[in-house]
Amino acid sequence: MVTKDRSGLDGMTRRGALALGAAALLPRSAGAQAGAQAGGGAVLIMNSGAASLSVIDMATRRETRRIPVLREPHHWALTPDHKELLIGDSSGNELQVLDPRTFAVTRRMPISNPYHLQFSGDGKFFVVAGLARNQIDIYEAGSYKLLKRFPIKSMPSHMDFLPDSSVVFVTLQGTGRIAAIDLRRLEILWDEPCGNAPAGLLVHAGRVLAGNMGGDDVAVLDAKTGKTLRRIRTGKGAHTLFWAPDRKTIWVNNRLDQQSVVVLDAATLDPVRRYRLPGGPDDLEFAPDGNIWFTMRFVHKVAVMDPRSGDFTTIDVGRSPHGIFLNPRAIATA
Amino acid sequence: MIPAFDTAAGWIQETLLLPMLFSLGLIQWEDISFGWALFAVYGAAQVVVTFAVCVPLERWRPVERWPDAQAVVVDVLYTFVSRVGLLPLITYVLFFKLQVELSGALTDMGYVPPTLERIFPFLFGMPVLTFLLYAIILDFGEYWRHRLSHVFRWWYSLHALHHAQRQMTFWSDDRNHLLDDIIGFAWFTCIALLIGVPPMQFPLLVLLLRLIESLSHANARVSYGWLGERLLVSPRFHRAHHGVTAAGEISVNYGAVLPWWDMIFRTADFSREFVQTGDPTAEEELATGGYFTQQWVGAKRMLRDIFSSTPRGAG
Repeated sequence: MVTKDRSGLDGMTRRGALALGAAALLPRSAGAQAGAQAGGGAVLIMNSGAASLSVIDMATRRETRRIPVLREPHHWALTPDHKELLIGDSSGNELQVLDPRTFAVTRRMPISNPYHLQFSGDGKFFVVAGLARNQIDIYEAGSYKLLKRFPIKSMPSHMDFLPDSSVVFVTLQGTGRIAAIDLRRLEILWDEPCGNAPAGLLVHAGRVLAGNMGGDDVAVLDAKTGKTLRRIRTGKGAHTLFWAPDRKTIWVNNRLDQQSVVVLDAATLDPVRRYRLPGGPDDLEFAPDGNIWFTMRFVHKVAVMDPRSGDFTTIDVGRSPHGIFLNPRAIATA
Repeated sequence: MIPAFDTAAGWIQETLLLPMLFSLGLIQWEDISFGWALFAVYGAAQVVVTFAVCVPLERWRPVERWPDAQAVVVDVLYTFVSRVGLLPLITYVLFFKLQVELSGALTDMGYVPPTLERIFPFLFGMPVLTFLLYAIILDFGEYWRHRLSHVFRWWYSLHALHHAQRQMTFWSDDRNHLLDDIIGFAWFTCIALLIGVPPMQFPLLVLLLRLIESLSHANARVSYGWLGERLLVSPRFHRAHHGVTAAGEISVNYGAVLPWWDMIFRTADFSREFVQTGDPTAEEELATGGYFTQQWVGAKRMLRDIFSSTPRGAG
């Protein structure tokens, strides 16, 4: 079912958007293509509470099929050659491997507690954060041979890498810290406090940005030392952070109270725009047509928002949708 | 119906649980808070459904009428503690943690954690059928747990609290000694872990099985007919188990939901009509005492039996 909602744009922050220049604020193709008809491609949603993946046709915005998984799918990783899409089934302890173009299931691999997972930019490492088992596992990409396990307190959540792939940073949701792990020497460089229940994490210009879900801010840490440099107030339950395709803005989802999406200017890290988006926005993806797709955890829907107006429509999916993957990304780079 | 429960659980998570977790500094648990909410919603719905079904039945065709039903009041307390209170939430969290630890450890050792879907791949993507199979296996486990609780004297001393009720109603299902409940939970959980029950299905399985068990305790002259009684445990069938002549070491009709196990292991008795319930060997406090008195007397009785030299003879 598709439902259209009223504008989620917060008028107060529109001024900020105008000040920055709307064209720079919008995702790469939004200025040129927003409003254009949605193109082809499909979206994969990880229904974490329904042990399933929803496939949505981007043109019709309808769920076309539901793929069963064992237990609890949360996040995904695209292999460096873009030929395989790995879905982490955290309490099922396995990776479900799909063809990113067709979403056909090709194989399944047992692996311990894959909650959040990513390949390093150089394609050498595959890192898995095991939130429920308090472990960070570093695998050799390709062979999936476990190189080292870091038992760590506690609840390792999201991760990102330095551009040269030498260090991975992981939020530790249970202890309010961030750990930096040297991937060459396979040792912890630092483990520093950043706030309360950090979740999403992004590396940006020698700094580490983390959404403090137990607070109302994004903490900015020095990537070398782990010292907190700044706090940016975005809203209660600051959760995940994403780059816009043009890398001029950073999008932050806030999960509590005034559930919203806040856009940060990547140069200054100042908030420049806010959208109201009730329903527990979690992960998001930018579509080639300029729209932004969000998983809405609490209402079991996906929202598709036009960032120019803030208008959004919703599509029913399974329980507690979390990760989201748009396959035009794989098709374009194949 | 299921989407309505999901919506209600989502609302509880979003408007009640998350703000509470946030203010308590426990927001890191938000990811599993939906499971808690869903468990509570199903628990509340189950009490409502049980009440809506059983109360009219008990008023329509009561087996017994009592001048006062004082002994039933404590059973109501047992029910709320067991089903809507903290216990279901703890159950869910404990099971989730145990499941993750066990299956993660097995994966690390190179073993694929057991699940029905891995043993029978055709079940993959058939959640309803898998759910029913889990329910059947767990009910089989419950049959043996219940039967053994009548075999071991110390265990029956705890279980006697359940059997002591002379005014048995649908509320009596949860009338158990706390230690008996803990043993039951550990038993049920171990089996659920062994067969790989998903955490999100665990509470639903508990609630489904308990719903039918509640009905089987109803003070209602209800039988499902020759065939029905052999498919599902009825109030008549289970009442025979609670009869004064069946309490104790040698009993009949141990099945909780399915009478199949009694039929297979030759403990089924379909001949008894609506008998008088209670355990004549049990202390009076176990029948008519308050919650804490019953717990205390049950514990004392168990300790006495453990340290007693008398080998057998419970009930």
